[in-house]
Amino acid sequence: MEIKFYSKLNSTNQKAKELAKTGAKAWTIIVAETQKIGRGQQKKFWFSPKGGLYFSIILKPQKISDLEKITLNSAKCVANILKKKFRLNPEIKWPNDVLINNKKIAGILVENVIGKDIKVCICGIGLNTNIKKFPKELKKTATSIMIETKRQINNEQILNTILKELQKKLLNYEFKKRN
Amino acid sequence: MKTRIKIGEKFYNVEIAEIKENLLKISVEGENYFFSQDEFQKLSLLKNKNFLDLQTNSKDNKPILNGSKEKEIKSPIAGIISNIYVAEGDIIKPGQTLLTLTAMKMENEIVAENAGEIKKIQTKKTQFVQKNDTLIILK
Repeated sequence: MEIKFYSKLNSTNQKAKELAKTGAKAWTIIVAETQKIGRGQQKKFWFSPKGGLYFSIILKPQKISDLEKITLNSAKCVANILKKKFRLNPEIKWPNDVLINNKKIAGILVENVIGKDIKVCICGIGLNTNIKKFPKELKKTATSIMIETKRQINNEQILNTILKELQKKLLNYEFKKRN
Repeated sequence: MKTRIKIGEKFYNVEIAEIKENLLKISVEGENYFFSQDEFQKLSLLKNKNFLDLQTNSKDNKPILNGSKEKEIKSPIAGIISNIYVAEGDIIKPGQTLLTLTAMKMENEIVAENAGEIKKIQTKKTQFVQKNDTLIILK
């Protein structure tokens, strides 16, 4: 696993796709402190100020039938960590949003490049960790771990925890399928 | 997406597919149910049997077909065309992004495998396409 840190990017998914197209290996992780044009699905803007955790994983190209499982497994992984480490009560708004009390705390965006086969598979995760306040238009629909627990979160620690769990889930799934 | 759920003591094989935006097909032990989804993500069971015609292709593990003539670019999955980046008459290069397709909350860039000249674009933005529908024909 190689983790590349950037202070500012347009979007971690965009960077991950660029690197994947030029040969970056599977499980290269792109992390940004802030994103200028972070996105959720259907190009919806993902508020990405400094403090939050925004990263994308270059995955090994998958079979078409397995693509949907990446989104859901990633959402489950984030939800489990919120429950176990922070004693929060997350809900998955199927298949790619994680909510706390009906407010979005994390989002997953899987993007693929497909020709005759899947060439690139990227899993992007935005997790609202240390965001104290949201703009007016997001106050009723978004929350963060800091708001919910009144604690400062160590982004590097939580990133490593998520990556460890995700690797177990996704690589273990691949192993089971092969056997 | 295929999964297995337990209700009480019994297991059920469940398959969930997005037929088109806000229309889901959920198969439980091979029996199909169709649901519409409103802007609040609330699902409503549909009773109209016409939706039985909208079957997704279940051959997900077969290689993506490129048409018997190798000059047709086909959709690898069912979904909605979100953007088209080329036009009829364009000369395309291998790896060039042709269009994007949204499916099951994922975004998919469809790229050219080979160089060629676009003869016809068989789809349009916001159109729902099935797996293996022809999207672009090359000369």
